[in-house]
Amino acid sequence: MSEKQIRWAIGILGALGVATVVLLHWMVFFWVPTESTMGIVQRIFYVHVPAWWVAFLGFGLVALCSAVYLWLGDERLDRAALAGAEAGMIFTTIGLLTGPLWGRVAWGTWWEWEPRLTSALILWFIYLGYFLVRRSTANPEQGKRFAAVVGVIGVLDIPLIHVSVTWLRSLHPQAVILSADNPMNLDPAMTATIGVGLLAFSLIFASLFLARYAVAGYEHELDLRDAALPGTQAVEV
Amino acid sequence: MSTYIGLVWAIARKDLLVEFRTRERLTSLGAFVVLIGVLFNFSIDTAVVRPQDIAPALIWMTIIFGGMLGMGRTFRLEEQDGALAGILQSPIPLDAFYLGKVLGNFLLLSVMVALVFLVFGAFFRLTFSGNPVTLFGVVALGVLGFVSLTTLFSAMATRSSMGEGLLPVLVFPLLVPVLVYGATATGRLYAGRPIAEVTGNLRMLAAFAIIFTVSGAGLFRFVIEE
Repeated sequence: MSEKQIRWAIGILGALGVATVVLLHWMVFFWVPTESTMGIVQRIFYVHVPAWWVAFLGFGLVALCSAVYLWLGDERLDRAALAGAEAGMIFTTIGLLTGPLWGRVAWGTWWEWEPRLTSALILWFIYLGYFLVRRSTANPEQGKRFAAVVGVIGVLDIPLIHVSVTWLRSLHPQAVILSADNPMNLDPAMTATIGVGLLAFSLIFASLFLARYAVAGYEHELDLRDAALPGTQAVEV
Repeated sequence: MSTYIGLVWAIARKDLLVEFRTRERLTSLGAFVVLIGVLFNFSIDTAVVRPQDIAPALIWMTIIFGGMLGMGRTFRLEEQDGALAGILQSPIPLDAFYLGKVLGNFLLLSVMVALVFLVFGAFFRLTFSGNPVTLFGVVALGVLGFVSLTTLFSAMATRSSMGEGLLPVLVFPLLVPVLVYGATATGRLYAGRPIAEVTGNLRMLAAFAIIFTVSGAGLFRFVIEE
């Protein structure tokens, strides 16, 4: 994609994303019926679930791009991993903030050592390490490799962490949207709202991802130009 | 194959020999274990909780904190003396270098872990009524998993500007499975529960140790090369 095309894509995806987020909030507040058991607090799910969907999408991209970056050494894959990690971190934070808001009403407590919540918090810390290690070296190339190793190790460990904490006890509401026992048993309006939420967050994610990917490309170009100028050194980003 | 094992052992032997001659890490780890045992003992109100009930969790926390203290210095000697450049230029495969470091750290940490059990057994008046072979398996697999991850990230921390301060941030979140399965299995074995109750823990600890020893060996070259 050319620079101009990427700019257009960021703008269009971002505008569509914002419009869909506005539509989502109208549906959540004025259109979708109230869930019978949990009551009005259940409406936070229409933000919480899509946030986690894109957070996992982001971290899946980090793992995939990191592994292939270590294999091929292509700079573009490192930029994609960085963009995925930053966008994923934003949505993980949204998921971690909206979960306790719901939990305060449903469980009567802000925080519970519940497996999915615990795994999510640990995931957040693993990717905090990803950013820290990236900026902790004098040689930026080394920082990129370190971050990619954290990305790969993180994705290998997440299933083990999840299994280990699930082994203790689970309080989290079970998945109902894609539950194998009872597939798609939601009210059609609820399914539509969740669908709009997924679309809205995916569009915002795609826009942020592309924007960060493009900025990382500019940073790389600047580094190369600085390095090429006589008497100067590459800027450490 | 025997040459490869010889290379792994050469690295581990070198580390153990340096440690045997200087006793730098073992002295500080030994002092740490005894002092932390004393402090943990003073921090527990025996009128409210029985020390025996929380001792297995404290044993594993001591292994992790003490291990972090020891493992953080894994590559410091090589980095300071420029020996790393020599090892990197030698024909030794980098995965053998990593496995040698893991083996050396594992043996070193095993001495510390034995001391942890002795100190906590005495200070917390623990009586062990379970199967000692199973406890040995739980601890050995847990320590191997811990060491395989920590050795990889120790190389990273040594080469970063944040130094050893980076190590806990990177490793603690990843160690949750070791802590969950290690501490619960140790608690159950101390309580004399049947071995069947900890076989799942053993399997998960073995899976953790295998996954991170193999992936560490594969990923090490991306961490250690300039």
